[in-house]
Amino acid sequence: MHVKILRDLRRNRWFLTGLSLIGFFFVLAMIGPSLAPFDPQDFSFNPLSPPAFKHLLGVNDGGQDIFSELLYSLRNTVLFGLLSGSAALVIGVLIGAFSGWLGGFPDAVFMRLADILLAIPAIMILIIVAAVFRPSPSVLALILAFMTWPTISKAIRAQTLGLKESLHVKAAVQMGGGNWHIIRRHLLPEMFPLYLIGFAAKTRMAMFMEASLAFLGLFDPGRKSLGMMISYALKYYYLDIWWNWLLPPILCLSFVIMAITFVAISLENVLDPRLKEGSLKETVMEKTL
Amino acid sequence: MDAVPRKPKPRWLLGVVSFLAAALVMIYLSYALPRILPGDFVTAAYAGSHVTLTAEQEASLQSLYSQDTGFGSYLLRLVTLDWGYSHAFLAPVSELFLGALPWTLLLLGTANLIAMSAGFVTGVEAAWRHGTRTEKGLIAGATVLEGIPEICTGVVLLFIFALKLQWFPAAGAETAYAEGGLFTRVIDVLHHLALPLCTLILAYLPGNFLLTRNSMMMVMKAPYMVTARAKGVPPRRVRYVHAARNALLPVVTRFGLRLAFMITGALVVERINSYPGLGTLLFNAIQSRDLPVIQAVVLFSSLIVLAVILSMEGLYRMIDPRIRHAR
Amino acid sequence: MIREKRIRAVVAFFCPKNSLIQEISMKKRPVSHLNRWVGILLFILVSGILSVPDLGAVKKVEEIRIGDGKGDWGDPNPYRHYPRGPGYVRMSWVFDTLVWKDRNGYTPGLARSWKYDPENQSFIFELQKGVKWHDGTSFSSEDVVFTVEYFKKHPYQWVPMEAVAGAQGDGPERVIIKLKKPYSPFLAYVGGTMPVIPKHIWEKVNDPVRYHDQKAFTGTGPYKFVDFDKAKGTYLYEANREYFLGEPKARRLIYMKTGKPLMSLLSNKADLVNIQPDMAKILKEKGMTVLENKKGWNKKLMINHKKSPFNQKTFRKALAYAINQQEIIDKAHRGFGSPASYGLLSPDHEFYNPNTLTYKPDSLRAREILESLGYTRDASGFYEKDGKPLQVEILASNISAAGESSTDRDGEIIKKQLEDAGIGVKLTNMEQTTTDDRVRKWEFDLAISGHGGLLGDATILNRMISPRFKGSVNSARYGANPELLGLFDAQNVEMDVGKRKALVWKIQEIHADDLPAIPLYYSVSMSAYNPGKGIQWYYTKGDMAVGIPISQNKMSLVE
Repeated sequence: MHVKILRDLRRNRWFLTGLSLIGFFFVLAMIGPSLAPFDPQDFSFNPLSPPAFKHLLGVNDGGQDIFSELLYSLRNTVLFGLLSGSAALVIGVLIGAFSGWLGGFPDAVFMRLADILLAIPAIMILIIVAAVFRPSPSVLALILAFMTWPTISKAIRAQTLGLKESLHVKAAVQMGGGNWHIIRRHLLPEMFPLYLIGFAAKTRMAMFMEASLAFLGLFDPGRKSLGMMISYALKYYYLDIWWNWLLPPILCLSFVIMAITFVAISLENVLDPRLKEGSLKETVMEKTL
Repeated sequence: MDAVPRKPKPRWLLGVVSFLAAALVMIYLSYALPRILPGDFVTAAYAGSHVTLTAEQEASLQSLYSQDTGFGSYLLRLVTLDWGYSHAFLAPVSELFLGALPWTLLLLGTANLIAMSAGFVTGVEAAWRHGTRTEKGLIAGATVLEGIPEICTGVVLLFIFALKLQWFPAAGAETAYAEGGLFTRVIDVLHHLALPLCTLILAYLPGNFLLTRNSMMMVMKAPYMVTARAKGVPPRRVRYVHAARNALLPVVTRFGLRLAFMITGALVVERINSYPGLGTLLFNAIQSRDLPVIQAVVLFSSLIVLAVILSMEGLYRMIDPRIRHAR
Repeated sequence: MIREKRIRAVVAFFCPKNSLIQEISMKKRPVSHLNRWVGILLFILVSGILSVPDLGAVKKVEEIRIGDGKGDWGDPNPYRHYPRGPGYVRMSWVFDTLVWKDRNGYTPGLARSWKYDPENQSFIFELQKGVKWHDGTSFSSEDVVFTVEYFKKHPYQWVPMEAVAGAQGDGPERVIIKLKKPYSPFLAYVGGTMPVIPKHIWEKVNDPVRYHDQKAFTGTGPYKFVDFDKAKGTYLYEANREYFLGEPKARRLIYMKTGKPLMSLLSNKADLVNIQPDMAKILKEKGMTVLENKKGWNKKLMINHKKSPFNQKTFRKALAYAINQQEIIDKAHRGFGSPASYGLLSPDHEFYNPNTLTYKPDSLRAREILESLGYTRDASGFYEKDGKPLQVEILASNISAAGESSTDRDGEIIKKQLEDAGIGVKLTNMEQTTTDDRVRKWEFDLAISGHGGLLGDATILNRMISPRFKGSVNSARYGANPELLGLFDAQNVEMDVGKRKALVWKIQEIHADDLPAIPLYYSVSMSAYNPGKGIQWYYTKGDMAVGIPISQNKMSLVE
C-alpha cells in the first residue's frame, strides 16, 4: 500500500512543487542567520534608506537591515509552525491510538475532551494568552498544539478502530502482545500517511497563526516575524517602500504557506478516498479552521 | 448470552452533551478568570492599560471581583443581559457588543454566503467538466489562492485599492455623521465593506470550491448519475438536482462552522481594515484589559458555537435521510 | 428545452437579425454558460465600483472634518475633557475665554479690550456686546464673576486660581478681576485659558465632574456641541449662527478617528490632520498645505536628582556630555527635529536665552568626569565604585505628542550612548501610565518624558522645574537651588516685560548649569490641510491657550 501511495505522490505535480518549496524554505530558515549580512537588531543604519548593495532590501524605519530581518523572521515563522505541528501530531497520535485501542471509558473521556477543545476558537485563546501573559513563542506554539490535536486524534482513532479488526492485529493479540507493543509495532506504522496529512495541516495553521499574532503585535517587539514586518511596512504606505519592505515578507509568507498547502492538498487527494474516515463534520471542520 | 438488549443511546445526544460541557467550561473560565490570576488582580490588570482608574473605580472593581456571588448568579446576570460596565469605554458592555455585532454579521455573513454560493457553483461546474483545461485551470487557481493567507490578501488589497488608488476607504464601516438619505447610507456602508468583504471571499472561496469539487467527484461516479443521464435529464438538472445536492452537505457544514466561529473568524481582516466588528472590540478590550468586555465576548462566542453546532446536527438529520434512519 | 426556446424567441424578437447577442444566445456550448455568469459578476462589480459616490467630499464649507489618531479625548466641557491638549481644543469650540490668541498674538475673545491696573493689581476687561449663550440667554459680566468663583471652589485643572483674589462686575459689560499679588502669567493662564461657563446652569451644580446633562455643554462659542461617540472617537458640532464675532464658516464640524492621516486627507475623508514629517513632501506634491509649528514640544531625560549619584551636579553633567542629541534625532527620527537648549525654553520663545551652557557630545569628557568622581574602569570598560558597577535604569514608554502617540528608539540610542561612556544601562519599556506612576513616586533613575508648552508663557519653566508642582510627571521638581526657587517666585510677580525677561534668562542659565533634567530635542510638529475648502489653518502664536501645539484654532473658522 505504501509503495503505491509513494508512486502516486511522486507523480503528483502539486506535491512535488510544494515539497521542493518547503525544502527550499526549510533550508533557508536553517541557514538564514549565517546568510544574513547583519544582526537584525542592529539599528545603527540610516533609517528608510533604499536598497543598495550593502542593504539588499534597504533599511527599515528603525535603522535595521530588512534583508537580515526577513531571514530571521522566516526562520521564526517556520520553526513556530514546525514546533506546533509536531507537538499537535504527537499528542493527537498518542491520544487517538490509545483511545481507539483501549476503548471504553478512556476513549469516552478523551473524545469528549476533544469535542470540548474543538468548540473553543484557538485564535481567541491565543490572543488573550499572548496579550495578558506574554509568554515565549514556544509556549504559544505548544498551547496552539494543545488546541489543535483533536482532529488528528479523531482520524487516528477511526483508523485504529478499523485496524483493530484486521487479521494481523488480532493475531498479535492472540500471541500475547501487550497494548503498548501492539500500538507501537502494528498500529502506528500503518497510519503513516495520516501523520503526513495531520502534520501538514497543523503546521500550516500554526504558521498562519504566528503571522496573525505577529501582525497584531502580540509578540515581544524584539522578535522578528513576517507578520510584524508587514504591519510596520504598512505604516509607511505613503513612502516608496512597498516593493522592498512590504512585498518581500508578503511574498515569503505567501510562498511558505502556499508550499505547505500544496503538500497538504495533494496528500489529501492521493490518500483521502481510501483512508480518511470519521464523521463528515470533523472532516470539514479540520479543513475549515 | 446478553441480558435484555438496551436501546443504544442516540449519537447526537452525546454530541449535545459535549458541546454543553464545552460551553459551560468556557463560561466558567470567563467567570473564574479574575480569580485564577495571581496577585492583586485589579491593579495588575489595570497597571498596564490605557485606562487610569480613580480610587472609587478601583475599589468597586476590587469588591466586584472579590465578592463571590457564585457561578449561579453570574449565569443569571448573563441571561438578563446585565453584562456589566466597561471601564475603558465608559459604556454598558451590552451596548458595545450590540454595536459591533451587526458589522461582524454583515461582513462574515455576506462573505460566507457569497463564498459558499460562488464556490459551490464553480465547484459543481468544474467537476462536471472533469478533465478539461477549464477544470484544471480552476483547480490550479484555487489551490494557489488557498495557499495565500488572509493577511497577505488583505494587506495587498488594502494597499492597492485603498492606499494607492484610493478607490475605497482604508478604515471604518461608514462615514461618521454622514448626512443623506437611506440610499446614500447604504452605498456608503457597501463602499466601506468592499475591501474586507473581498479579502474574506478570496480566503473562503477556493476552499469551498475544492471541497465541492471533491465531493462532486465522488458523487458523479455513482450509478444513479448514469441513470439520470441515460434518462435524458438536461445536464444542468443532472448537475444541480441530482448530484450537487449530495455535495451540498459539506459546504453547508463549513458555512455553519464559519458562522459559529464568527467572532474570531474575521479578526485579522477587521484589524487590517479597521472595521469595527466584534474582533476589533475584543482586541481593543484585551489591550486595555477591559475584563467585562472580554468576558462577554468569550461567552457569546461559546454560546454561538454551541447553538450553531447543535442546530447543524439537527439540520443533518433533516437533510440526509440516511442519517435519520441510520439508528 | 422549452424554456430555452422561449428565451431564444424573445431575444430574436428584440435584437436585429444576426446580431452578436443573437449569435451568443444561439450557441449551445456549455462553456458560454460559465462565461455568462462570469460576465454578469464582472458587470456587477464594475458598476458597483464606478457608481459609488464619495461621501467624504462634501460641498464647500458645508462641513469640516478633522482627523485624529486617538479619537476619544473626553466630553468637550471643562470638567470632563481629558487633561491633554486635544481635550482642551475640543472644548474650546464650545466655550470661549476672555482673551484668545490667533496667529498674530492676543485677540479679543469675550473681552473686546483689556488692561492691567497696577495700583489695584487687577485686570479690567471690557466685554463684548450682545453675546448669547447657546440656549438663548444673554451673557453678562455676572457669568465671568461666577466662573471665577466657581473655579476657585471647584478647581479646573488648566487654570491656576491661587493668584486670583476675586472678580467683580462693573455693569453688565465690564468685569474687574483682582489679584492677590502681581501675577505675570495671568493673561496666558487665566484670561486666555479660562472657559467662561454660564451662571444660570452651573450655579445649581455641586459635583461638576459627574454632571452629565446636555446643559453642561452650553457655551458661547462658535460651535454648539451635538454628539460625541466615545467608542468610535467622533465628535459632531454645529455652527452657532449668532456667534458674536460672526457666523462660522462651516455649518458642521466633525472630528473623526483615523489611523492613516495622509490617506484620509488625500481621499477627502478629512480636511485637516496631524502628520508625520516624512509625509510632508508627498502632501505638498498633491497640493495640500503643510504647516510646521515652531519648536514647542520637547523630549526630556528626567533625572532622579534625589538619589545618588544623580544628586551630584557633576554627575549629571557627565550624563549630558555622554548624550549626543543630534544622533538621537538622526537615528530615531530620521533627522526630523532639532537639538534642545539646555535652558529648557524654546529658541523660538521671545524670552529665549541663547547664551546658556551647551554640552557638546564628548564621550571622553564624560569619562573624565566620572573618573574625577571616584569611579574606576573595570576590564570591560564600564565603571564601578567600591566594587559596585555603575548601573542606571532608564524608563521609556510611548509618549503622546499633540495627541498622537508613538513608540520610538530614543531609549535604545541613549542607552548605547551612555554605555559608550562606561555607564551600564538597563532599559525598561512600559506603558505611559506605569512610567508616570513610578516617576511621580520617585521610583526611578532616569526616565524619558515629553511635554509641550515651551512656546507659551514663561511660567512653564516654573511648572517644569519647581518642586511646587508635585503631581506633574514632567516636572523635574528640583528644589536644591535656592536662587532658582527665588527666581521662580520673582518671575511670576514681575509685570514688567523687560525685567521679567532678565529673570527668565537667569532661570535658563541656572537650569543649563544645574541640569535637573536634560532636554534632548524638539520634535517636529506638523499638520496638513486641504486648501480647497477655503479655510486657512495655522499654528497659534505662542501656541494655543497655555501652550497647546495644535493647529485647530477656532479663529480659522470665524471672521
